[in-house]
Amino acid sequence: MKPEIQNHNRWGLPDLGIGLGLRTVHYPHILEQKPAVDFFEILSENYMDTGGRPLWVLDQVAERYPVVLHGVSMNIGSTDPLDREHLAKLKSLATRTRAAWVSDHLCWTGVAGRNTHDLLPMPLTEEALRHVVQRVKQVSEILERPLILENASTYAEFASSSMPEWEFFARLMADADCGMLLDVNNVYVSAFNHGFDPGLYLDAIDPTRVTQYHLAGHTNKGTHIIDTHNDFVIGAVWDLYRHAVARTGNVATLLEWDADIPEFDVVHAEALKARAYRHEGRAVAAAS
Amino acid sequence: MQAVIEQPGTVDEAVEAEAARAELDPAEIDRVILPSKTLTPVERVGVYQGMYLLRMIEALEGDYPAVAHLLGDEAFTTLVTRYVAVHPSVSYTFNRLGRGFPEFVRASRTVRKRAFAADLARLELAITEVFDAPQSSAWPAGEIARIPQDAWVEAVFHPIAAFRLCVFGHPVNAYLQSVKDDHHDHPDTARKATWVAVWRKNYEVWRLDLTKPAFDFLGALAKGRPFGKAVAAAAKGLQGDPGQQLFRWLRDWVAEGMFASVDVGR
Repeated sequence: MKPEIQNHNRWGLPDLGIGLGLRTVHYPHILEQKPAVDFFEILSENYMDTGGRPLWVLDQVAERYPVVLHGVSMNIGSTDPLDREHLAKLKSLATRTRAAWVSDHLCWTGVAGRNTHDLLPMPLTEEALRHVVQRVKQVSEILERPLILENASTYAEFASSSMPEWEFFARLMADADCGMLLDVNNVYVSAFNHGFDPGLYLDAIDPTRVTQYHLAGHTNKGTHIIDTHNDFVIGAVWDLYRHAVARTGNVATLLEWDADIPEFDVVHAEALKARAYRHEGRAVAAAS
Repeated sequence: MQAVIEQPGTVDEAVEAEAARAELDPAEIDRVILPSKTLTPVERVGVYQGMYLLRMIEALEGDYPAVAHLLGDEAFTTLVTRYVAVHPSVSYTFNRLGRGFPEFVRASRTVRKRAFAADLARLELAITEVFDAPQSSAWPAGEIARIPQDAWVEAVFHPIAAFRLCVFGHPVNAYLQSVKDDHHDHPDTARKATWVAVWRKNYEVWRLDLTKPAFDFLGALAKGRPFGKAVAAAAKGLQGDPGQQLFRWLRDWVAEGMFASVDVGR
């Protein structure tokens, strides 16, 4: 599908349209019905260590749809050495699926060889920034493509942090020449949890670095919000998305729905709501 | 932070745990983590700590649903809590988290029906391994007829990668099936030797109960024993016409796609 409006991505990475996460419960529907989805995002680690059905399904999906890889275990912020086995398999998977790009999260998942399988918050310090810049450069070299990093939802902040996350991210992208998977819901969640203005975050990000958007539902616990990906996207997040698109132009946008997953058509319909917001966002940009 | 997250119990208990205290004095947490308007620093770390064990339970329950069913929620949670304390995830993938689980169950004296549970865990591990094993094409059943008569004695059968043979001291395959079928009258869990083949065909995992002679014969073939020797050994344990019986088994196993190739030595 030809993009409605040319985006301003600095690497020329395409606006793939509006996509969905490839989830096991939807395999039969996707293979049998071949729904008109612009692209699929896969959880990289789910396909690295299998030669069975998941990979067989993925091959068929990649044959028909554009695919992007999204990981949760790169552990880019850790002080542990980079996991070369993980990176080699990631590169191989990217080649196999002809992935448009490869993303993971700005976070750490464990130290001392352990993996908590959580996206843990970074201390936002000069030292951490230098450390991550070096690692992102290494990873980009190994993968032979720019690394795209997502802002994670966070529930705690380190007292040692010396800059807000948006500044850390902006400097990281400039210094390491990497891209951003801007998760608008995560901005909203972290803004609620830490008490900052989400608009400030969005406005601080270089729009030419934004390669993909994520949208998702969350769970508001009253005292804090958890990024549960188990519900519809709330209005305030859609508003932020519109605001972000006004700055970046149309960028590949993906809806994440990972728990209490409804039927495929429900998830797809929720994702397709993004079309109207993309249009409105561009209209706002054109008017200003 | 990680040392706290990995601890079981409440977050207040977690910050007081020995491993956590070795990293940070609980009194110092306020110095490391900022409070929010609604949560204390410890409560904020508690958001992560509360989710850690749930993730581990979910991952292992995915790999060991029948063991979880056998033990019940509370006992399974207790077991997983102890397991991940000794065997935390050290890989980018959850696929490897449960590899040591059957042995851990076997060695856990507090587990109810421990020997049965350990056998059941071994079966479920075999299923997981077969599910993810590399794909290899099955040797076509029609090829049997093409093996020259005089080549059978030395013929060597190679199983597909997604193939496991298991021997158990309990009827765990029947139990697993009853869980899958949602039967509440599960089979007896008393000791009884059972033999099971687990393999993948058309990207689905299949299980087949075997008799002891069939297990021995299939096992010999899968280990690469020449067909003639495997037949000679297996025939000793069979009555009637062993040749007919063994060939029937072989034909069925080949038709089920258990073999990837046959080396006839020419």
